[in-house]
Amino acid sequence: MIAVQGLTKYYGPIAAVEDLSFEVGQGEIVGFLGPNGAGKSTTMRILTAFAPATRGEARIAGYEVHQNPLEVKRRIGYLPERVPLYEEMVVSSFLNYVAELKGVSRANRVGEVGEALERCGLSDMGNRLIANLSKGYKQRVGLAQALIGSPPVLILDEPTVGLDPAQIVEIRQMIKGLRDKHTVLISTHILPEVAMLCERVIIINQGHIVAEEKIENLSDGSGATRLEEIFMRVVSSDRAAILAKTKKEATA
Amino acid sequence: MSSTWAVCKREFKAYFLTPIGYVVVGMVALIAGMSFAISFITHAAITQDPSAYSYTAVPDFEETFLSPYLVFCGTLIMFLTPLITMRLLAEERHRGTIEFLLTQPLRDREIIFGKYLAALGMLGTMLLVVVVNLCIMGYFVAVEPAVLVFGLLTVFLMGAACISLGLFVSAVTKTQIMSGTMTFGVTLILFIVGNLGEDMPTANPAPGSWPEALRSLVGFFYDIVRGLIVELPIDAHAREMALGIVQPVDIMYYVLFSAFFIFLTFRALESRNWRG
Repeated sequence: MIAVQGLTKYYGPIAAVEDLSFEVGQGEIVGFLGPNGAGKSTTMRILTAFAPATRGEARIAGYEVHQNPLEVKRRIGYLPERVPLYEEMVVSSFLNYVAELKGVSRANRVGEVGEALERCGLSDMGNRLIANLSKGYKQRVGLAQALIGSPPVLILDEPTVGLDPAQIVEIRQMIKGLRDKHTVLISTHILPEVAMLCERVIIINQGHIVAEEKIENLSDGSGATRLEEIFMRVVSSDRAAILAKTKKEATA
Repeated sequence: MSSTWAVCKREFKAYFLTPIGYVVVGMVALIAGMSFAISFITHAAITQDPSAYSYTAVPDFEETFLSPYLVFCGTLIMFLTPLITMRLLAEERHRGTIEFLLTQPLRDREIIFGKYLAALGMLGTMLLVVVVNLCIMGYFVAVEPAVLVFGLLTVFLMGAACISLGLFVSAVTKTQIMSGTMTFGVTLILFIVGNLGEDMPTANPAPGSWPEALRSLVGFFYDIVRGLIVELPIDAHAREMALGIVQPVDIMYYVLFSAFFIFLTFRALESRNWRG
């Protein structure tokens, strides 16, 4: 459903991601892990046709993102990292606007918005002004917005950031419910979350994929701990390698 | 098409979900209303006793009141348009909602025309306020409908031209303040330069002692510069039109002006695909 081949993105001379290749199959939930600044959000922005790649290609449902942005955007629901919302709008009218943009027919709009509100625990918040919502609720509105029109591919950039523990459990439950019907790519820092939600994990560091593993291979009863081990190992060894390389260059 | 309409509706509503819509329409109501009352009463006084105002006869109503008033309203709206256009794209960029908007299944033209139409809607609302004044006038004076229709069309075209300029500036700036200030600045420059241009002599400014080839060269470029200064400003084509003297070239000017800046807006929005 998502196929990335040799994806490279430069910001000026700095490579944000370099030669990234991975695939996500239909109905899979894949965790996209990495330390801050690893290139997670950049990759997601390319996948959603928001930013262009310098090199390489990315396909969503067979459509190349740069050549067929409209077809790609019709098939994705995207929760950006910053959760941008029109603060002057009321929750339900914002979601109604999203439904309109996504081409949900007038007859189905009310049902679609109602369902999104319910799935994200926003049923009582429909008439609230977005500006007055807490961070957690804004995050939920962002999530609800991504679900509208039930797109086959969901790209969620840190979906549980800013939520309280009870909300995190709810949202995780909801994301689990998306399995099979949707293909989901989630970026996060929270390692246990990945172990709970995802079938597979891709770890990137400094713009490169450093590990790609099925969760079941990691879990020997304590999946989270092993994942943490692997994460720390690949990230720190990568750092050590880079440090050694720069040292070598400095002495040469 | 339906997406254009959806974007337009949201943008238009947003004007009135924030104070900006009320402020702009309120300002038009206040300023256009005040100047209407003062000049209408003055004109009534002149009609009663022309000699007291050094007129030999009762002056033509359209020429001395209606057309200058409409041009005034157009100029007023021209200077208020930065307030309506500054948020169109700059605010989306500043708040980050541009990331939301550009990842929705929308074509660039649906975003741009949606926003342009919403701003035209605001222009229509401002014009409605002016129409209220004109209705009061119509109660007292019978005016030629053509003058009224083309006068309002002039004001609308002037506003539409300013909006397209503002939309483009909004597409290339990152904050509302920058966008508003720059649009206002450009409008002001065009306005001032236009007024200066009227005083420029038509004759070749090069001294007669210069060689003929150089003289004609200077004259050639002087004519181009003078032509631009006289013809380019947004209000330059309004005066005659507001009198009901409509020439296709004047209407074409406004249409081309708007089309040019909308074209630039497309290129500006598109630049995200190659700027990296």
